[in-house]
Amino acid sequence: MTFLIMREAYLIGAGQSEFGAFPDESYRSLFRAAFEESLDSVPEGIEKTAIDEAYIGMVGIGGRQIGLPGPAVTEHVGLNGIPSVRLENACAASGYGVRQAVQAVRSGMADVALAGGTEVMNDLGRDRARYWLGVSGEMEWERMAGTTFAGVFAQMASVHMVEYGTTSEQLSRVAVKSHANGAKNPHAHLDHECTLDDAESAPTIASPLGLYHCCPMSDGAASVLVAAGDVVEEFTDDPIRIAGAGASSGGLGLFEREQYTSVPATKKAAQRAYDEAGITPADLDFAEVHDCFSIAEIIAYEDLGFCAPGEGGAFVERGATELDGQLPVNTSGGLKSKGHPIGATGASQVVEVFEQLTGQAGGRQVDDASVGLAHNIGGSGGAATVHVFEREGAS
Amino acid sequence: MSGPGIASVGAYAPSSRLSGEVIAETWGRFKAGGIESTAVPEPDEDVLTMGYEAARRALDAAPVSGADIGHVLFGTTNPPVEEEAVLPRFGAMLGVPETAEGDMFTGALTAGVRAFRAGYRTVEGSGPVIVVASDAPRGEPQQALEQGAGAGAAAFVVTADAPVTVDGFASFSEPAAGSRFRERGNERTEGLGISSFDRQVFTTTVTNAIEALETPLDSVDAAAVQATDGRKPYRVTGALPVSSEQLKEHATVHTLGDTGAASVPLSLAVALDDGAGRVLGIAAGSGATALTVVIDATESVPATLALDGKEDVEYASYLRQRGEITGGAPEGGGGYVSLPAWYRSVAQRYRLVAGRCPACDRLNMPPRGACSSCNELVEYDPLELSRTGEVEAVSVISQGGAPPEFAELQERTGPYATGTVAFEGPDGDSASLPSMFVEVEPDAVAVGDEVETTIRRIYTQEGVTRYGIKVQPIR
Repeated sequence: MTFLIMREAYLIGAGQSEFGAFPDESYRSLFRAAFEESLDSVPEGIEKTAIDEAYIGMVGIGGRQIGLPGPAVTEHVGLNGIPSVRLENACAASGYGVRQAVQAVRSGMADVALAGGTEVMNDLGRDRARYWLGVSGEMEWERMAGTTFAGVFAQMASVHMVEYGTTSEQLSRVAVKSHANGAKNPHAHLDHECTLDDAESAPTIASPLGLYHCCPMSDGAASVLVAAGDVVEEFTDDPIRIAGAGASSGGLGLFEREQYTSVPATKKAAQRAYDEAGITPADLDFAEVHDCFSIAEIIAYEDLGFCAPGEGGAFVERGATELDGQLPVNTSGGLKSKGHPIGATGASQVVEVFEQLTGQAGGRQVDDASVGLAHNIGGSGGAATVHVFEREGAS
Repeated sequence: MSGPGIASVGAYAPSSRLSGEVIAETWGRFKAGGIESTAVPEPDEDVLTMGYEAARRALDAAPVSGADIGHVLFGTTNPPVEEEAVLPRFGAMLGVPETAEGDMFTGALTAGVRAFRAGYRTVEGSGPVIVVASDAPRGEPQQALEQGAGAGAAAFVVTADAPVTVDGFASFSEPAAGSRFRERGNERTEGLGISSFDRQVFTTTVTNAIEALETPLDSVDAAAVQATDGRKPYRVTGALPVSSEQLKEHATVHTLGDTGAASVPLSLAVALDDGAGRVLGIAAGSGATALTVVIDATESVPATLALDGKEDVEYASYLRQRGEITGGAPEGGGGYVSLPAWYRSVAQRYRLVAGRCPACDRLNMPPRGACSSCNELVEYDPLELSRTGEVEAVSVISQGGAPPEFAELQERTGPYATGTVAFEGPDGDSASLPSMFVEVEPDAVAVGDEVETTIRRIYTQEGVTRYGIKVQPIR
C-alpha cells in the first residue's frame, strides 16, 4: 500500500506543564505553561504569529467549559483569531489533535499547526470526579452493569490471565518500571519509585487490578508544534519527521468485540503508521504507549507488535521495556507515573518523543534515539492513534 | 376433576437470612415471637423483582407461556411506587402480550388472596392468568414488625382447566382500625400495639370468614393462615379444621418471617407442593378484614419453589443491606440513560431479545446500528437468547470504586462482581452483554462459570427505578 503525502510534516517543538494536582491552576493557565515551553523548545526559535491553526484536546472533566475550550485557551495565550477547535476523543483527544495538525500541514492548509491538550481533574469532589471519569465508557450497557474504566480493563486482564497465564506480578512490573522512569521526569505527577512489593501489596481497585496498576487523575497540559517540510528549516536544522500517522476507531464496549485481550483500533492504527513510515517495530528505539492501566501497556506491547500475542507479561518481566532494555517503553513514566490529564495525554506523549529525539531527556535519555512511537487510546479502545517519529539527521 | 384453578405454582424468597437470635443478642429481646429467621431482600430487590422470580418459575412449570397470558394480577402492600402502572413493565419482563389486562391489589394484607380471587373469577373470559403475591414489609428497627419482617413471593398460573380447583371464597369485615397501617408517604408500616384489641379483631374476623364459607371443611388437610408473626396463626387453631401441627407443616413464617400479602399465598404454594389435597387459606389484617378460600388439589400440580436460605447475615450487615445506616445517592450526578432510551431497550434488558443480522447471520446484542460483524445497516431478526450464559470476563469492583449511580448499592452490598457474559442463541452461537453478578461471593466468580439471569433494580434516577437483568449462579 502506498500513501500520497502532499508534503511532509515535522515535529519542531513540544512542551508540557508539570503534571499533578494544582488547586491554584486552571485549564487555561496550565495550557499557557505548556504553550510557552513548546515555543521555547523550538531549536531556532519561533514567533507565535507563525502558528496557523490549533487543535485542543479536552474532555472537560467537571463540565468546566464543555463548549469552546479550544478558542478559550488559544485566546488566553495570545493566539486569538486563528482557527481553533476542541477535539474530544476521550483519552485519545490530543493524540487525535496531533493527527489533525499533521493533516493540516500535509494538506497544505497550514504551515505550522499546534496540537495540544489541557485538563483539570483535581478541583472537584470525589463523587463528581467519578461521574466524569465514566462519561466515555459505553454508557447504556457497560456502565449500567456497574463497570468503571478500571473494571473494563480489569476484565481484559482477567481474560489475559486465563488465556495466557499473565500474572499480577507482571502487571506490577509495568508499574515498577514506569515509576523508575517517572522518578527521573521533572514533570511527572507521581515522581517516586515503587517496589514490586509496594505494587503487589497495594489495595485492590477492581480485581485483578490494584492501586499501582491504575494511573492517577492529573491536572496538566501539553503543546506540540508541527511544521511543513517547506518551512521546517526556519525552525530547526535537525528535523524530526512525522513519518507515520495512523488512527482508528473501535466499538465502545468490550462486550461488542471479538476478543477481550486485544484492542483492534491499536492494531489498525499501528499498521497504518508502520506502513507509512516504512518501518517495523524492530526499527523503533523507544515508544510511549497508552498505559492507563498496567494491563493496557501489556496489551499495547502485543497490539503494536513489540512481542507476540500473549507474551506481553513475559516481555516486561524480562526487562525488555526498561530504560536500558531492548525497547524502552514509557521512558516518561507513562500515564502511570507521569500522570493522565485526559485531554493532554496524547500530546504529552509526543513531548517525551521530542525530548528523546532531541537528546534532552536527561536521566531517562535513550542512547542514540532516532525512531520513536507514540500510542494513544480513548476509552477502552473506542479510538486510537499511533504516530512514528524519525530524526532525519540520524538516518 | 378439573376446572378453573391453579395450573402451576412458583415461589421465591431472598436467600439471606437474619436469625431471631441475632436480633435478640443485639436488642436484648426479640419481639417477633415464633420466628426463627427472616428472609432479607438484597438492596436491588423489591416486590416486582421477587414477583418476577416467582412468576418465572410458575410459567416455566406451566402448560402455557408468557405469551398466552391474558391477565396479570399482582398483590402487595408495598408497591414500588404509590402512583404509576408498574404491571406493564412486570408483564414485559415475562413476555406477556401488551393487550393483557393488569390489576394491582394493595392496601391490606389480603391483597395477595384478593388478586387470586379476581384472577379465578376472570380466567374463563381472559384466558390464562398469572397471579402474583409479593411483599416485603418494613418497620422501625426497634419494632416487632421490622424484627419479624420477611420477604417473598408466590405465583400461580390460573387456567380454565386446571388440576387444582377452587371450592369457594368468603370474607368478613368490621370497621375497626389501627392494628396495622402505613401512612401516606411512609415506607414503614406500624401498629398501635393495642394487643388485646388486635387479637380480638383478628380472631373475630378470621372465625367469621371461616364460618361464612359455604363448603364443608371436614376433609381439609392443610391450612395457610396469615402470619404477621410466628404465634398469631396458632391463636385461631380452635376455629380451624386442622391441628397446630398440620398448620405448622406448611407455614413459611418461621423461616421467612412476615411476608405480608404473600404470607398466605406462600403457604398455599408450599401446601400444594407438599401434596395437600384440600387447603383452607385465610388472609387477614391491615384493617379488620379476613378473606378465606378453599382449594381442592385432586391431582398434583407442577410447582417450583425457591425458598431455601443460603446465608445468615450479621445484624450490622442487615442494617447496611436494608439501607438503615448508609447514605443516599452521592452528589455530582450519575451515568445518565434517559427514560425514553431505557424504554426502547427493555426487550433486551428484560428478556435478552437479540437480533440476528439477515446479511451475515451474526447475533447482535443489543441489536442496534450496523451489524458488529459485517457492518451492514440491516433490520435485525429478533430472537430471545437463553437465560443461562457463560462468564467470559470478570472483575470485582472494590468498595468505594463503583460509579456514583451504584455507590449507594455498593455501600449496601459491599464489593460486587461485574463482567461480560455470553448468552447462547437458538442456533448455538452467542452474544455477550455486560452483567452485574448477584447472589454470589464476588471473588468466587471465575471466567467459564455458568450463570443464569434474574431481573433486579439497576438504578433509580429522577425518581424512576430502572429494572434490568443481572446474573447469578444457577440456582
